[in-house]
Amino acid sequence: MSDDRRPVDERFEPYEPRRRVPLPVYWIAIALAIWGTLTLWRDAHAGFIAGRQRGDEAAADTRRAAAPGADLFLARCSSCHQPDGSGIAGAVPPLAGSPLVKADPSVVVRILLRGIDGPITVAGQHFDGHMPSFASVLDDDQLARIATYVRARFGDNASAVSPSDVAAARAWAAGHPGPWRGGDEIRAALMPLLEPQPAYVASLIAAPDPSILALVQHGTGGGWSCASCHGDLGEGHGDAPRIAGLSSPYLLAQLRAFAGGARTSDAMAPVATSLADAQKIALASYYSQLATPSASVPALQGALDRGEALALDGDSAKGIPACFSCHGSSGFGVAPAFPPIAAQQPAYTAGRLAGFARQAKQGSHALMPSVAARLDDADRRAIADYLATLPPVPTGTAPPAEQH
Amino acid sequence: MNRSLPLIILAMAILAFATTLLVIVPKFQIGHEPAPAGLHPYTAQQQRGRDQYVALGCVYCHSQQPRTPDQAPDAERGWGRASVAADYAYDSPHLMGTMRTGPDLMNVGARLPSMGWQLSHLYQPRAISPWSIMPSYPFLFEVKDKAAPGDTVVWLPAKSAPPGKVVVAKPEAIDLAAYLIALDRTYPVPSTAIRDDGYAKHGAGR
Amino acid sequence: MNHPEEPAEAEPLSDLKKGQNTSRGIYAIAGGVMLFAFGALVAGVIHSHGEQADTSKSAPADGKIAFTPPPESKIPDGPGGDSIRHGMAIFRNTGTEAAQYVGNGLTCSNCHLDAGRKPLSAPMWSAWVSYPQYRSKNKKMNSMEDRLNGCFSYSMNGQGSPSGGPPPKGDPIYTDLEAYFHWLATGAATGAKLEGAGFLKLKKTPLGYDRLRGQVVYQQHCAECHADDGQGRTDLNSRSIFPPLWGPHSYNWGAGMTQVNNAAGFIKVNMPLGAGNTLTDQQAWDVAAWIDSQERPKDPRQKGSVADNAKAFHNKEQSFYGKTVDGHLLGTGTPPAH
Repeated sequence: MSDDRRPVDERFEPYEPRRRVPLPVYWIAIALAIWGTLTLWRDAHAGFIAGRQRGDEAAADTRRAAAPGADLFLARCSSCHQPDGSGIAGAVPPLAGSPLVKADPSVVVRILLRGIDGPITVAGQHFDGHMPSFASVLDDDQLARIATYVRARFGDNASAVSPSDVAAARAWAAGHPGPWRGGDEIRAALMPLLEPQPAYVASLIAAPDPSILALVQHGTGGGWSCASCHGDLGEGHGDAPRIAGLSSPYLLAQLRAFAGGARTSDAMAPVATSLADAQKIALASYYSQLATPSASVPALQGALDRGEALALDGDSAKGIPACFSCHGSSGFGVAPAFPPIAAQQPAYTAGRLAGFARQAKQGSHALMPSVAARLDDADRRAIADYLATLPPVPTGTAPPAEQH
Repeated sequence: MNRSLPLIILAMAILAFATTLLVIVPKFQIGHEPAPAGLHPYTAQQQRGRDQYVALGCVYCHSQQPRTPDQAPDAERGWGRASVAADYAYDSPHLMGTMRTGPDLMNVGARLPSMGWQLSHLYQPRAISPWSIMPSYPFLFEVKDKAAPGDTVVWLPAKSAPPGKVVVAKPEAIDLAAYLIALDRTYPVPSTAIRDDGYAKHGAGR
Repeated sequence: MNHPEEPAEAEPLSDLKKGQNTSRGIYAIAGGVMLFAFGALVAGVIHSHGEQADTSKSAPADGKIAFTPPPESKIPDGPGGDSIRHGMAIFRNTGTEAAQYVGNGLTCSNCHLDAGRKPLSAPMWSAWVSYPQYRSKNKKMNSMEDRLNGCFSYSMNGQGSPSGGPPPKGDPIYTDLEAYFHWLATGAATGAKLEGAGFLKLKKTPLGYDRLRGQVVYQQHCAECHADDGQGRTDLNSRSIFPPLWGPHSYNWGAGMTQVNNAAGFIKVNMPLGAGNTLTDQQAWDVAAWIDSQERPKDPRQKGSVADNAKAFHNKEQSFYGKTVDGHLLGTGTPPAH
């Protein structure tokens, strides 16, 4: 009880007596505190895990780069030459038993660096082959490991190849642009003792019209110049795709689709509309003949192993067929409808796949939308990044670096 | 007021806590991040373009901060990898932006490297994308009867070109386009670079 | 000044009860909030961990057992593994690995997709557990080697191959292929009815099948890959990417795929590759009829006339063999492939 007889304090400030805080308030406070702490911890943990994953991926990339020759061979050569080096009758020469593999190490290295375009006879069998150049996608060390492995396994334990051998061959190849002109040139330049080779007949390539070159380089005659987005050699940049070496019918069909609105692109529509059909035909033909080295590098943090699995084997559990089952071995395309996808700019590939998936959502049952709808975001990035590591489609011409 | 001292102490403690977490710790985290090897300081022209970017208020509609794949599909939109702290080494103040009325511009130079495209687009965005809601910037250009030597003529589709005249870019437009083309952070960054991994559960799905 | 006890004393009993109820309510809500908070956390943790857990196998449908063959990476090392790998190489690249016995441009994996793994494209893991088997096709008990011999004779058109026939009995090609199949069927019970075995038995449609309706379907859905003339397409190295469906480089008149029902079941599930099950049943039947009413290499079993052979071997089949289409008697064969 309070004491009523005390004089009243004039300066008294009212106050509440100290009361016990109700238990529920403690409960709520404790619950919220725990919730907050755990949320903070989980967020921090997310960053930690993501960092560790990135580290793992970086390590995997390093491992990939340092993979032994056997793994490099499986990843880079076996889709055409087959895992056992037997080749494909009528299409891809065998490595097993090939005199080129057993010869001087520089032969294998120089073929890897330049690629081959034209007829070749290997162990009595005739091929009319197009092998890509690996110069732009593999470094000296990797090429040395592949060459060593190929020679040891298929060339009766022939001697090893060192990275400095590759560097020397690279310097030599700089003075010899373009692919080997069939077995004939290899025989003449490197191996006079090779079996007789069929003669190389240069395919007639019309020199591009000056007005087309002006269009490509300066945009005179309609639209922004092609090169301002697609690069001087059609190598692509960001999500402006690589267009060098794509088949002429495919490129022409795309230009017409952009102009007609069947394919939408804000950058391409005004240009394609302003081009005359004859210009479209000439441009398609010009770019289809460019043998430009790859300028694509993985950029989307995609898992390259997953991308490789999808490209080579697909994913049967998700109903995804292998990319290469339609786009051809090594993604070199199957004319006219299936474009080359090797060495494509990853941002373009992933964006295009996402676009196809959108079309599927809008009800399209066409082939690519159906397939792309089953790819998730991580798969799209994985495929795009993997394709960016492949050598570009071999075309018969030398890179036109001298042209400007 | 009763117990004013505890109240003041508590308020100061909260302020100190926030300052530590929001200012001091981040300073220690990112203050020593070196600029990536692939990133170059802005040239004088690009810096002038950057000033134009600020003056025209581009930042109110365009962010410069692509997110990680598990926060937004920015990589597939072609906006590039998620930005890291070091990407902003030469940006003072940064222009990260918060609104995405238009697309992210962190890598617009990689995406649309054509000076011609940028100029046409600045003059009249709807010449290129009929549905675009971006304002046009005709005051960065001059409409002339005939281009003088040295003028940068802007190509426009027939429907948008002023009949019988040519559109010539003023230096401001060229500066701004040069700045936009310089926005290219496609170089690789180390996996340890500091970045925002967002709210992704345990970072899965990356 | 406060007199805390006075109001309590003055408080009527009903108010006291009300106060107790209120505080109980507050306790209940607080408890609820706490339970929710913890529940959300626990659910979040479980969910994020559950993402990694593999999805349990689907329950067997209509008494059949689900089966998944082992991944390629599980092929053992050593000579046994080499045989399996070689079998797989033959399966995928038949024209090179068994060049002596292949008389057309096909490989095993053209029809047995995913190198014999894909359900409902006659996968090899289901074939392995159903042989030896009595087959009315040749009226005898067939071992796996006998069955493979049939594949090489008909589907691979062995008569047009350099050796002029299928691999001889006991050839290592059979051994390696069987090693591969045996490995694919690892864990499958012998004789089991496996889900996805064989081809889909596509139900008949009220309209039946019609080759000219099929031609329209073919132009719309197949010609982009297999070409208007059905000869398939090759890549720039002349390697076959899309197999020929008829003509001298395709399967001959003895192959199971010449039966419209087999082709229709295969097409319905698997074609267009990557967009299976997008054709209607009717479209699958019709396009199968279009493909199987084209001329192809002759039936190697044929001794007398086409009509005799049709009676002997194609009597009970849904096949165009021996029928006359556009004035041409189907079954007379194509000129031998070079």
